[in-house]
Amino acid sequence: EPITVKFSHVVAENTPKGLMANKFRDLVAADPALKDKVVVEVFPNSQLFDDDKVMDAMLLGDVQIAAPSLSKFQKYNPQLLIYDLPFLFKDIAAVDRFQQSEDGQTLLTSMKDKGYIGLGYLHNGMKQLSANKPLKTPEDAKGLKFRIQTSDVLAAQFEAVGGVPVKKPFSEVFTLMQTKAIDGSENPWSNIYSKKFHEVQSDITESDHGVLDYMVITSSEFWDGLDEDVRTALKKDMDEAVTYGNEMSVKKADEDKQAIIDSKRSTVYTLTAEERQKWVDAMKPVWDKFKDTIGADLIDKALKANEG
Amino acid sequence: MLKIIHRLEENIIALLLVGMTLLVFVETILRFGFGMGLMWSEELTLHLSAWMVLFGASYGLRVGAHIGVDFLVKKFSEETQRIIGLIMVAAALVYCILFMYGAWEYLGKIYKVGIELNDMSIKKWQAHSILLVGFLLIGIRLIEIGIRMWRYEQTMISMHDEAKEVLELQKEAVGGLK
Amino acid sequence: MTIAFLFILLFALIFFGMPIAISLGLASITTILLFSHDSLGSIALKFFESQSGHYTLLAIPFFILSSAFLSTGGVARRLIDFAIAAIGHVRGGLAMASVLACMLFAAVSGSSPATVAAIGAIVITGMVRAGYPMAFGAGVITTAGTLGILIPPSIVMLVYSAATEVSAAKMFEAGFIPGIMMGLLLMVAIYIVARVKKLPAQPFPGFRTLLVTGGRALGGMMLIFIVLGAIYGGVASPTEAAAVAAVYAFLIAVYGYRDIGPLKGKPWVSEGESTSAAIMRNLLYFPRAMVMSVGDQEVRKVIMDAAKVSIMLLFIIGNAMLFAHVLTTERIPHHIAETIVGWGLPAWGFLIIVNLLLLAAGNFMEPSAILLIMAPILFPIAVKLGIDPIHLGIIMTVNMEIGMLTPPVGLNLFVTAGITGKSMGWVIKASLPWTLLLLGFLLLITYVPQISLWLPEYLNELRGFAPGS
Ligand code: NA
Ligand code: NA
Repeated sequence: EPITVKFSHVVAENTPKGLMANKFRDLVAADPALKDKVVVEVFPNSQLFDDDKVMDAMLLGDVQIAAPSLSKFQKYNPQLLIYDLPFLFKDIAAVDRFQQSEDGQTLLTSMKDKGYIGLGYLHNGMKQLSANKPLKTPEDAKGLKFRIQTSDVLAAQFEAVGGVPVKKPFSEVFTLMQTKAIDGSENPWSNIYSKKFHEVQSDITESDHGVLDYMVITSSEFWDGLDEDVRTALKKDMDEAVTYGNEMSVKKADEDKQAIIDSKRSTVYTLTAEERQKWVDAMKPVWDKFKDTIGADLIDKALKANEG
Repeated sequence: MLKIIHRLEENIIALLLVGMTLLVFVETILRFGFGMGLMWSEELTLHLSAWMVLFGASYGLRVGAHIGVDFLVKKFSEETQRIIGLIMVAAALVYCILFMYGAWEYLGKIYKVGIELNDMSIKKWQAHSILLVGFLLIGIRLIEIGIRMWRYEQTMISMHDEAKEVLELQKEAVGGLK
Repeated sequence: MTIAFLFILLFALIFFGMPIAISLGLASITTILLFSHDSLGSIALKFFESQSGHYTLLAIPFFILSSAFLSTGGVARRLIDFAIAAIGHVRGGLAMASVLACMLFAAVSGSSPATVAAIGAIVITGMVRAGYPMAFGAGVITTAGTLGILIPPSIVMLVYSAATEVSAAKMFEAGFIPGIMMGLLLMVAIYIVARVKKLPAQPFPGFRTLLVTGGRALGGMMLIFIVLGAIYGGVASPTEAAAVAAVYAFLIAVYGYRDIGPLKGKPWVSEGESTSAAIMRNLLYFPRAMVMSVGDQEVRKVIMDAAKVSIMLLFIIGNAMLFAHVLTTERIPHHIAETIVGWGLPAWGFLIIVNLLLLAAGNFMEPSAILLIMAPILFPIAVKLGIDPIHLGIIMTVNMEIGMLTPPVGLNLFVTAGITGKSMGWVIKASLPWTLLLLGFLLLITYVPQISLWLPEYLNELRGFAPGS
């Protein structure tokens, strides 16, 4: 009987992550090396577990693969906070270079003692600021309530510009924005577009101030228990699926950005070099707070990726 | 003694319910009145709710709060009802034991990983330990019910009638009806 | 095979008197054990997720708590007095006023049985005294009480949004017009029956009484503005509005109306008391009432009653989510969806099936459990067929209303049987014509989606940013 690999994620099938998961399933099905050995089942839309509980379900062996956002992993390895630091990477290509570097790859396997192995990084994209007023300089963010994911770095980042970080479930963000219970948020273009945040936020600032990426992970118990040849074949298919997903993600970010501009529901503002520097100056001190946890040399190496 | 335990049980449940209500109330007022956010309030409220339900489920058995369907069972003779009732208690105990086993397995895993909750510095296994406690309490209550059935003092697990309940409340308010 | 085992075991347990929550949980857990490779640990994990992972569901205990304070307080009686003063003078007016009172109470309460109990206990005897046949009054109230879940706030809608991730606020917006429509429909039907059967009218009490009763009812009706205003006007999420409502309901019952609690029987103004003395006294009452409520027996009883119902419902919901989880891991919704889509049904044909399925389920089960089991199956198909998720939610809600009126398990039937002291058979017969009316209403709601969708879309436009701005 073939091994069933359950891939559980929390987004729709037509998102980059959804497409990547389905691609992986199809690649495995078509792989002669895995014929009759492995079947992949994809469960989208939080059908099985949300991102919090899926980590536990993986330890119990009920889910084999998931792809939570990188912020979720800081409980397991605080070094992964590095991906939340504001203005560390200048664009998604720089993010990619760091992830593919030796240090980036080491981070993938850094949670082995907790029972997890990272199989690859999947892009969602660079984050943009949105609010119900224009955000041109950090002063504009003062006193505004921003929805964030759980992360000490992200909380510190908004506190640094005088904003109020508010933690609310992603599913409620639209309503809360619509009802003005929260004033703003930070999201990649694809999230803004797919969740229609641009319809309830009057202004979006193209800040590219941070990255929101995923890590595709599996449980080490499951992964190490596989036959060598099966594991190699699965990894190869996974790499191919991730590459495909990342292409989709970059393409979709551009498309969605354009669609948002075309919709005219929200004004997209591009920062001048001067304005952008003000944001950098305001937010960068956050790095110092987390330097010891992350490691100063790791931050330096991440900065080098901007040059490549 | 039993009375004190029951009283304590009720106080804990009331405290959890009032606590979570006030927490969301205060958080809402803070956000609108003062533009402040409490990072941990959502997670705390959700856990208070989970604790109320899991701790309170066994209390629900004691006061017959869990609704069930009795129209078919009521057609049988008293003795048959009692036997069916005893079988149901046994089945419910199986449910409890399987759940406790599952909770043990799950808590063991997250104990080993040793991580904390997202927004509060409480170990996850501690916050989720109510799973084990809750189902243990349900099991104890089921055994009590089983003993009462054995002694011909009760015939069904769910002696509850939601309709009657709402009515009683109403009668107190309206001052009785003909 | 798996699906047959799961459902047969479930129904066997339910019909042999196992609490519904445990029936759902035990059926799920044995199915996992026998047919799947999943661990028991994941069942425990999933159960905890069901209890700690849905912020929307938190609104349920809050709305139950606020309902509990309103039911014990004299809010219901004041709403009824106002409704009678407003439309009691029309032929059949007392019955129509009862429907209006149900609508008003529905707008502050999220539950149908609570609505029947709060309003029915007072008005049914009132109608009999005024010369109405008892069966008429009982039938009207049993049916009008179902508005509790259609007019927002609504526990059933909260469960639907938790199961489908459709916004609860949107559902609350969508239920408003259908709720008003159904209330008006009942009133029109009453008027026709009243003309034919020559049912009595009350004398018009005069505008003064109307204003006075309206003023007295305002304390309760304020809650409508708080809850719906906060949600529609865009100030708070349903969960937050519910928590505020619970605190407000406590204040109005204990401090405002003083029907229960430490200030019970203490008047706002004593005879011969000067205004300033009354103000001072009432100001001092406030901290006193807050402190003394902690140990107050009546307040404590309301809280425990609310806790009891909340625990019962959330425990069912947790086990029903487990059941839905087993369906999902076994890909059962997927297979059923494929089969139904394979039939090539048009959307209207699919909606007939939806209604038949839900009506059948509504005979036996509790609404939250039905929704949690059926929504994952029906939702993806509906989306594929281009049916609006909010419209589907309203269709399901109206079905759940009917389910409360159909034997053998119909919560509203039980409540009315209790109020009137009559048999279930008598109540079923009394409410049958009105249930048929509700079935007609279901058809209307099913095939005219605009009834449900117009308001949320309109509100969206109001709030939206004008294109190009
Ligand atoms: Na309602
Ligand atoms: Na029914």
